[in-house]
Amino acid sequence: MLSPDIEQLDAAISAVLGARAPKIRPEDAQLRALVETASGLHFLPRPEFRARLRADLLAHTSQAPVRRHVFDATFAMHSQLKSRASRDSVLPPLFSTGTSMMPVGGSHLAVSFALHVAALAIVFTSGLWVVKNAPHVRTQIASRLSESVDYILPVASGESRGGGGGGTRDKLPASRGSAPRFANEQLAPPAVVRNESPNLPVDPTVVGPPDLKLPQLGQTGDPMATILNPPSNGTGSGGGIGSGEGGGVGVGTGPGVGEGRGGGIGGGVFRVGGGVSAPHAIYDPDPEYSEQARKAKYQGTVLLWAVIDAEGHPRDLLIARSLGMGLDEKATEAVSKWRFTPAVKDGRPVAVQISIEVVFRLY
Amino acid sequence: MNVTEHDAERHLIEAAQRDPSRFAELYEANFDRVYAFVARRLPSREEAEDVTAEVFHQALSGIATFEWQGTPFVAWLLGIAVHLIARRWRRATKHPEIPADDLEETGILDQTERQALLAQLVDRLPDDQRHVIRRRFVDQHSIREIAHELGRSEGAIKQLQFRAIENLRDQMRNRHA
Repeated sequence: MLSPDIEQLDAAISAVLGARAPKIRPEDAQLRALVETASGLHFLPRPEFRARLRADLLAHTSQAPVRRHVFDATFAMHSQLKSRASRDSVLPPLFSTGTSMMPVGGSHLAVSFALHVAALAIVFTSGLWVVKNAPHVRTQIASRLSESVDYILPVASGESRGGGGGGTRDKLPASRGSAPRFANEQLAPPAVVRNESPNLPVDPTVVGPPDLKLPQLGQTGDPMATILNPPSNGTGSGGGIGSGEGGGVGVGTGPGVGEGRGGGIGGGVFRVGGGVSAPHAIYDPDPEYSEQARKAKYQGTVLLWAVIDAEGHPRDLLIARSLGMGLDEKATEAVSKWRFTPAVKDGRPVAVQISIEVVFRLY
Repeated sequence: MNVTEHDAERHLIEAAQRDPSRFAELYEANFDRVYAFVARRLPSREEAEDVTAEVFHQALSGIATFEWQGTPFVAWLLGIAVHLIARRWRRATKHPEIPADDLEETGILDQTERQALLAQLVDRLPDDQRHVIRRRFVDQHSIREIAHELGRSEGAIKQLQFRAIENLRDQMRNRHA
């Protein structure tokens, strides 16, 4: 339950943002002071605008010496024009290189026209070249992609993690215990509640590399279960222990242990592909530029590896391709604030490892 | 502005006159004031951004001819802003012309300073409070949208909003005390 102050302030803010007068009792001086402060927040600048304008101004300053040089070279010929330009002080629009000091004459227009025609011709002919040489272009792109394959996590071609599960359709969930040993083949599935006098006594196993060892808890059961008693094989099917299917242990499918299918141990981090959908960013604020990189007008891409957990939060961020100049830290800082819709496997959200490219560009 | 700040600003201006790339420092020092002044006088964020950008572009173009006469640099920038806003209003024809002595009106500079200070204080809020404030006031998202985006309850977002504004009010009071 929120305090009335918090609710009243929010109602007043909604009124201010909707250009309506907030309702505040005359004796409520504290709320009035808070609303006054909040009214000022309506005029906050957008951080992206501030950064873009700064970059734009810096881009202008970097071109300034060149313009001055051109102007100096033509000073003798155009001294009259200079005085006229200074007097008129025509100012540059936001996204151009600024006021030209050159006279607007027929020859200049002709040169400009010729340059534009040449540029259009290059664009047109390059398009034609690409159409005519499409296989060659595709080969080049493919070779470029293969060069960077070490960096980008490839999509898993099949099931990315092992695992298994089982159960005997008991009413109770599986009880806690340790899974049996791993073996390359399974002759008998594990069970908590066993036939005490089988015709052919065989040790139960789960399928996986025989050198895999799991902690032993004394009694057989599902290591991930939360109840110890009463003993139960679980609600799954196909033998084994747990809520999955097959002769394994846990929630997966098959003769292994844990999430996933086909043997081995599952339940860890998945990779996209093989039935695991990709997570999608739903909140991805842009990274800030580091001061050092901005001054150096440094651009590029930082590649990160991240685990997106089942809640959609990024964790375990690793820099796979560094850019330096403080941009790696800025990229990590930004991505750690991102939020995703989690990856989904078999209808359930799961943690996945993905690579994220963070592009730094100065506009 | 005390003597040391005056000197520091004069040095910055001279540096920018020698090397235009140093104009970035003047920009950083004055952006909040210029934006605050402009935003309160124009009806939309887009117009405020256009005019602010134009002010700094004009200032950058004219920095070489700027003569230091002891008045704060921001006064020159606000002077440019007044002319640009007036021009915009004249074009719209619905608005009366902004008086030339607008800057001398009582409280205008104080109000601009307060608004600029508020913007700087927002930058220093804890991450979660700053995020909520920007989403609510700059992007004008509803409490529900912010709660959904951050995966938190609406109550938690309202509480963050309350704490942030309380925080800002206290710091504003301390600065003016």
